[in-house]
Amino acid sequence: MRVITGKYLPRRTVLRSLGGSIALPFLDAMMPALGRAAQVKPPVRLIFGYVPNGIMMRDWTPKSEGGAFEITRILKPLEAHRQDMLVLTGLAHRTGEGPAGDHARAGGTYLTGVSPKRTTSADVEVGISVDQVAAQVLGNRTRLPSLELGCEATRMVGSCDAGYSCAYVNSMSWRSATSPNPPETNPRSVFERLYGSLDIDTDPAVQARLNANRKSVLDYVRDRTGELARTLAPADRRKIDEYLTAIRDIEKRIARAENENREITPSMEKPAGIPLLFADHVRLMHDLLIVALQADITRISTLIYAKEGSTRSYPELGFSDPHHPLTHHRNNEDWMEKVTRINLHHMEQFAYLIGRMKSIREGDGSLLDHSMVVYGSSISDGNVHAHHNLPVVLLGRGDGSIKPGRHLTYGEKPMTNLYLTLLDRMGVPAEKLGDSSGKLEHLAGV
Amino acid sequence: MKGILLLAMLVPTAVAQSPAAALFHQHCAACHSARTASGGLNLESLSASVGADRDKWARILKRLEAGEMPPAGRPRPHPAELHRITTWIAGELDRGRTHLKARRLNRVEYNNTVRDLLGVDLRPASDFPQDDSAFGFDNIAESLSVSPLLLEKQMAAAERIARAALFGQDLKPQTTRIEVAIPRRMEITNPVKLTVPAYYSMADYDVTGLSQPGAFHLTHRFPAEGDYVIRVIGAGNRPAGSQDGEITFWIDGRLVQRFPVPEVMMSGFERRPDFWEIRTRLTAGPHEIIAAFPRQFEGLPPRFRGPNPSKKQEPPLPDPTKAFRELPPDAPPGKIEERRLAIARAKDQLANPRFEGLAVMEVEITGPHSPRKGPSPESLRRVLACGHLDGRHQAGCRRLIVGTLAQRAFRRPVTAKEVDRLEALAASTQARGGPFEEGLAVAVQAMLVSPDFLFRLESQGPHALASRLSYFLWSTMPDDELLRRAGDGAIVAANEAPRMLADPRSRALVENFAGQWLEIRRLESVQPDRDRFPDFDEHLRASMIKETELFFENLIREDRSIVDLIDADYTFLNERLARHYGIAGVSGTQFRRVDLKGTRRGGVLAHAGILTASSYATRTSPVLRGKWILENILNAPPPPPPPNVPALDEQAVGSSASLKAQLEQHRINPVCASCHARMDPLGFALENYDAVGAWRTQDGKFAIDARGALPDGRVMEGLGGLRSVLRQDRDAFAACLAEKLMTYALGRGLERADQDAVKEIVARAAAADYRFSSLILGVVNSRPFQQRGGQ
Repeated sequence: MRVITGKYLPRRTVLRSLGGSIALPFLDAMMPALGRAAQVKPPVRLIFGYVPNGIMMRDWTPKSEGGAFEITRILKPLEAHRQDMLVLTGLAHRTGEGPAGDHARAGGTYLTGVSPKRTTSADVEVGISVDQVAAQVLGNRTRLPSLELGCEATRMVGSCDAGYSCAYVNSMSWRSATSPNPPETNPRSVFERLYGSLDIDTDPAVQARLNANRKSVLDYVRDRTGELARTLAPADRRKIDEYLTAIRDIEKRIARAENENREITPSMEKPAGIPLLFADHVRLMHDLLIVALQADITRISTLIYAKEGSTRSYPELGFSDPHHPLTHHRNNEDWMEKVTRINLHHMEQFAYLIGRMKSIREGDGSLLDHSMVVYGSSISDGNVHAHHNLPVVLLGRGDGSIKPGRHLTYGEKPMTNLYLTLLDRMGVPAEKLGDSSGKLEHLAGV
Repeated sequence: MKGILLLAMLVPTAVAQSPAAALFHQHCAACHSARTASGGLNLESLSASVGADRDKWARILKRLEAGEMPPAGRPRPHPAELHRITTWIAGELDRGRTHLKARRLNRVEYNNTVRDLLGVDLRPASDFPQDDSAFGFDNIAESLSVSPLLLEKQMAAAERIARAALFGQDLKPQTTRIEVAIPRRMEITNPVKLTVPAYYSMADYDVTGLSQPGAFHLTHRFPAEGDYVIRVIGAGNRPAGSQDGEITFWIDGRLVQRFPVPEVMMSGFERRPDFWEIRTRLTAGPHEIIAAFPRQFEGLPPRFRGPNPSKKQEPPLPDPTKAFRELPPDAPPGKIEERRLAIARAKDQLANPRFEGLAVMEVEITGPHSPRKGPSPESLRRVLACGHLDGRHQAGCRRLIVGTLAQRAFRRPVTAKEVDRLEALAASTQARGGPFEEGLAVAVQAMLVSPDFLFRLESQGPHALASRLSYFLWSTMPDDELLRRAGDGAIVAANEAPRMLADPRSRALVENFAGQWLEIRRLESVQPDRDRFPDFDEHLRASMIKETELFFENLIREDRSIVDLIDADYTFLNERLARHYGIAGVSGTQFRRVDLKGTRRGGVLAHAGILTASSYATRTSPVLRGKWILENILNAPPPPPPPNVPALDEQAVGSSASLKAQLEQHRINPVCASCHARMDPLGFALENYDAVGAWRTQDGKFAIDARGALPDGRVMEGLGGLRSVLRQDRDAFAACLAEKLMTYALGRGLERADQDAVKEIVARAAAADYRFSSLILGVVNSRPFQQRGGQ
C-alpha cells in the first residue's frame, strides 16, 4: 500500500533524487521574493492534450482546406482562436492497429509511435514518448523537467483491454520504453509539486519577513551547534558534528538558490482536492498548468482529459451514458449525437486553456505565441477503432516557427512526423521517434 | 610443541604476549584457521585487538561461557584455563569503551515531544527519513544520524509547528491518497471448475466482506477535528443481470454507511471503476477505516452458480464468433490463428464465467473541512507561561514565555544568556514588523531546530535522569511533575516509575518497545504468498497486530507476570482471529479477552502475528522460528550461518521429503549441527502452525511431526512441550527481556559490564513473581541507567 500525502513523489523517490544539490521546495520558499529577472526571451513550451475513444469525425473535419476552412461543430469553441490554430488531417498511428486491444494500443502509441507489448504484468514496454525526448534535453533548465497531468482520477490496474496492461491507458508519458510517468490528477498535489507544501503568504512584505525569520533561525542554530560542539569532548561530539555539517550544507544551498533569483510566488490559491464536476477539475488543472508555464517551472507538459477507453459519464450534459460504450454507436443517430456532445464538452474545456494562454502577455507576444499545444486522439472513428485520419489540432506559434490559421491535409503521414517537427522547433535534435518517416511539412507555410 | 609453533605463525604478537591469549589459541586455532574456519570463524582474520572486533569477540565469549565450545568430542581446556580465557576476553572488551553522549530524538520521540511541549499533534516527523535501527531498536544513539535532508525537513517542520502553536493550524483541507498496491481481487470463484479456499467459496464465505481480498483496511491519523470526506474508488463490476450489490463503510469498528453497487450493462473492457464517498466529522488522531463489499457472491446471474442467484433476466450473451473483426481472406496465418485463439478464449469465458469480485483500488481522504480556527486552547496554555491567554501581554511576558518554553524544550534549566539570545530572536522579528506572536513563533522555531531540543545530551544530574525515564517509558519529554522534581533535585527513579507506568503514555512501550522486540511492526509489511495462504487478508493482518499489542498492553496495565508472555491461558480476539484459530463463540469486530484453556493456543509464540512474522512467505521455517525464540525469548542468538551453506530445496518441501527430514539431513554436518541442534527443535514444536499461524496437521502430503529434542536432552512435543520447556527456562527469558529493555532504555548495545546489572534485575524480578513492573524498576535502578552519560 502506498500512502501519498499531498505530494507527488513517494518519499523514496525524493530521497533518491536528492543528490545534495536539488533545492527542495522549502529552500525555494526561503529565496527572496525578488521581481522577475530582466526581460529575457521567453522559452518555447510544448504541450500535449489527449481525449479518448475517438471523435465524431463528421462533426470535426472541415471540408475546405487552407486558410478559409470552415469551423465545424466540435471545433466551434476554438473559433475565437482560429488564427492560432492548425487543423491537421491525414495523420495516423498505424502502430495502434492489431487484434483486440485497440484502446490500450491507442493509449500506448499516442506519444510514442510504438505498439505496446501485450502484457498484464509489470513487464510493460512501449517506447519513449515525445514529451520525454524533449524533457531529457531541456528539463535541466527548469525546476520540473516536465509535468504530467490527468483529469480522470481513477487508475485501473491489471488488464485493461484484451490482455494489455492498464499502464498504457493510465499514462501517456513514458520516460523510457518501460517506465511510464503516471499523471498527477489531484490539483492540490500538483500545487504542492509546484510550490512545496508550505503555505506561503502571498503578501511580499510578509514573505520577506518570513524569509528573514528563517535566516535568523538558521544563524541561531549554527551558532548554538558550534558552541555545543566545542563544549563536548571530541569523542562525544560526532553526532553534533554531523548536524553542523548538515547546517553548512543547507546554507550553501540557500546561497546557490539566491544566486538564481527565481521567482516562485504562487499566483493562485492552493486547491483543496479533486472537484466533483469534470469541468471544475479540468479548469483547475489548466490553471495550474498555466502558472507552471508562466513561472517557468516547466516547459513541457502532457494532459490526459480522460483515459483511452474511458467509461466516464457526464451527467452534467443531461445524459449519463458512459463514454466508451456510446462510441460503439453502430450508426445509431441518438448515440452519435451524444458522442459529439461529449467531444464538444472536452473541446470547450480545452478552449479555456487556449484563451488563458493567449491572454497572458509575454515578451513580444502571448504565452500561446511561445507555445505549441497539440490536442487530439489516437483513434478517429471509435465505432470501428480506426487508427488513421486522426483528429489533431495544433495551437500556438512556437515562437514564430509555425504559421497557424489553416487546415492542412496530408495523404497519410505518421503522427510521429508531427512530433519530430515539434521537437525540431524546440531545438531538440531527434532523427526518429517510433514509426516516424521524416518531418511533417507545411507547418511554417505552404 | 606443534600447538606453539602454529601459534607463532597465527597469532599477532600483541595477543600472543598474554598467557590467556596463548591458551585461547592453543585450544581454538586449529579449527578456526583461515583454512578450516569452522562455524564461519577465522581467528586469523580477526583483529588482534579485542576492542577492534568487539562484536565477534563478544560472541566468542558467549559461546565459551555457555560451554558450547570447544564442541563435544574435542579436547576441552581445564575449567580454570577456560576461566582465564573468558576473564581475559571480558577484560579486553570492557576496556576503553565510551558511550555516545548525544542521542538524537527519533521520529516517534520527536512527534511525541512536540505534542507534549506545544500541544501540536501534527506528527511532522512521520515525513522525515526513516530512522536506522541497531540491536533491534530504532532509538540507538549510534545509528541515529543527521543528514542535510533530515535537517531541511526539521526546519520546515519547526516553522509549521511553531505557527500551528501560535496561530492555529490553519489547516486547509488536504487530500491523502492511499493506493492499494495490488488490488486483491478474487480470481477464483467458480466452485465447480476450481478449488477455492473454504471461507470465500460461494457456499460458505464471509458475508460481511471484511475478510475478502477486495476489502480495504486502514488506520489513518487525522490531523485535527473536522469534517472529512472519505472517497473509495472501486474496481470490478457486478456482471450484467446481477441484482444490486453493496459497499459498506466502517469507522472504528462501526458500520456507518451503505451504498448500492449496481450491475454494469456492458462487459469486457467496461470494468468501470467508480467511487463512493462519505463525509463525516472525526476527532483528531487515529481512526480505523474499512470499506468492504458484503454478500458479493449473492444476486449474480444463475450461470455463476453463486448463492441466492439473481432473479433478473440476464441479457443475451454476445456471440463470441462475432465479437472479433473479420479478417480479409489474404490475412497472414498468424493473424488468423490469433483470431481463432481469441474466439476460443471468449467461448471458454462464456462457458465458465468468472466473477472477479469487487475491490477497493484507492482511497482518498480529504479534510479537515470546517476545522476549528486559531490556536488551540491547549497550545496557548502550554506556550503562554504568563497566563495571558487573551493576548493582552505585559512587559516581561516575552522573556517569561521564552524562558519557560526553552526549559521545557531543552528539558533542563537554561542560562540567562540562552534566554537572551532567544528573546533577541523574537524581538528582531517584531522589529521587522511582525506581531508579538510571530516573534514567539520564531523563538519556538529556533528551539525546535536547536541541538538542545533535537538531541538528548546525556549527562549526570536529575534532569538527565528525568529525560531518560520519560523517553524510556513514554517515548516523550518529561512532564511538568518530573521536571519540577528534577528542579528540586529530588528525583528518585524508583518512585517515578510506578506513576509513569500507570499513565496512558506508557502505551509507548507497546508501540515502540514491544512493537520492535516482538516484531509486531514488521507485520505491517509481511506478504504471505496469496496462492498458498488465501486466508490471509488485510482484516486478519490488522487483527494479528492488535492481538499482540493488546496482550502486551494488558501485561503492563495489570502488572502481570512476564511468564504470561510464554505461557498465558488467555488472549484477546475478535471474530476474524477467532475463526482463524478455530475458536467458537467470538463474534463481531471488537476485541475481547478470551480464555484459551482447552484450545491449541497460549502465549505469544502461538499468536498468529508472531508465527507469521517468523515464517517465509511461502512456508514455515523451523529454523527461523527457532532462531526467533533463541534471539527474542532465550537470549542466545545463534551466529550467522557460515558462507556456502546449501539452501533448502524449496520446491521439494512437502513434496519429495518432509521439511523435517530435510532439516535432519542438514544437521548431519557437524558445522551446521552446532547451531541447528539448538534452533531446529524449538521451531519444530511450532510446526502445527502454518506460515500465517493457522492450525494444521499436514504439511503437503506429510503429517506434521512436532517433536524435537534439545541438545541438553530435554524432549518436547508441540506448543505444550515448548511452553513447559520455556517455563523451566524462565530465568533465561527474564534475562532476555531485561537485556532488551536495557538496550531500549540506554539506547546502546549492552556490554559485558552491564551483565551484573542484568543478573540483578532478573534476581529481583524472580523474587517479585516476575511482575512486569519489577523488570522496569530493575532497569531504572540499575547502575548503567542511573549513570548513563556519567562515568
